[in-house]
Amino acid sequence: MRRYRVLSVVLMVCLLFATLAAVNAWSIRLGDIIKVGGVAFLVSQYGGQIDKFINNALGERQAAVQGATKVVPILSLGGGGYIGAAQVVGNPENVKRVKAVFQVEGNFGSVRAQVLLPMETEKGSPDRAKGVGVSAVIEFKI
Amino acid sequence: MRKSFKVPALMALGLFAVLAAAAAFSSAQVSFRSAEIDGARVAEVLIGERPVIVLHTSSAGYSPLERAEIVSNRLRSALAAQVKPEDVTIGSIPSGAALNIKGGLIVAIYKNEADAQGATPTALARLWRDKVLLALSSEAPAAPSPAQEQPKPAAGEATEQPVAEQPAQAPTDPQAKPSKAAAAEQTVDWTGSAQKWVPVFSLETQGARVGMAQIAGPTERVERVKGVYELRLAFKNIGRVYAYVPVSTLSITKLDRVQGVSVWALADIKVLGF
Repeated sequence: MRRYRVLSVVLMVCLLFATLAAVNAWSIRLGDIIKVGGVAFLVSQYGGQIDKFINNALGERQAAVQGATKVVPILSLGGGGYIGAAQVVGNPENVKRVKAVFQVEGNFGSVRAQVLLPMETEKGSPDRAKGVGVSAVIEFKI
Repeated sequence: MRKSFKVPALMALGLFAVLAAAAAFSSAQVSFRSAEIDGARVAEVLIGERPVIVLHTSSAGYSPLERAEIVSNRLRSALAAQVKPEDVTIGSIPSGAALNIKGGLIVAIYKNEADAQGATPTALARLWRDKVLLALSSEAPAAPSPAQEQPKPAAGEATEQPVAEQPAQAPTDPQAKPSKAAAAEQTVDWTGSAQKWVPVFSLETQGARVGMAQIAGPTERVERVKGVYELRLAFKNIGRVYAYVPVSTLSITKLDRVQGVSVWALADIKVLGF
């Protein structure tokens, strides 16, 4: 009896997942989920190291930033298939609020264009982070 | 006997009232409060309406709010006398940094506090020093002459605050100029909203790219930017870093970075392949 109950729950979850996947197939593909998860993993694993690496590299070139820095994932919208993260810079209290950088990108022939917007979720919904800028973009090899 | 007791008591009360009034006058601009940042309770120390020190962590058994009260008391005492910008200094303490005024400790910054704010103790001390100077500057009761008045910025356009001199010092004091300029250079305001398109240059092993970058920041700093250099760095074997450096001179031998300015839009094209 218990085995049937477990099986029915698993089937319901699978059905729900399949339905959601079918409905959202145009916007959220499995590959995107894996990529976002991969970037989140890489940022969690290497974010601190990358942050120090960038700061040291800029410091060696007398171009260090004066402000707090942090590496966050990039959420990308556009046809470039860009996978990466960004280092944001600003005042410490503002940098701490940043959760991700939203990127809109496009390739027009040989011209590459991108817009980078640091985002925060201070009031529950995503909003553009004020007083924070992007100082570097990190492209991961996945 | 009772009458002789009343007179000193009344005198003491009167003296206390006078001292309290004097203290209230001299300390009216420093306060502290509890606040919420990123869902966490923090404590802020304010000069006027400006938060100048934000404390996230407890230390030595004191909560952030208790620390803020201690810090505001120290700050209030220090600001009771005339303070010059060069009096506000950064010192080092074991495992941290300290913000001092006239050599007296205002706040100690340890690694846990700096980590909580994504900075090093020295960087955080520098930031707080700059904020104190900015707040003192804006609190200064200086009435500019018509020749000194600056044009007002357009609506929604952030401006960089002039950096502090002591409150009682006139802004035209020639002796104040060097320290004012030095303090202004140290102060970084990342909240400006002026924007400008500048050329962006990138040189990599595969070739060279040029394009345009839109930068944003305080008006005065944005105006100084002549271009953006893109540095390409390899991070281990897992990624490649593109660092954007807004510069005030287009020199290939020196990166003269303009602080407080960031890149938020880019468009480039490959012009040379190796």
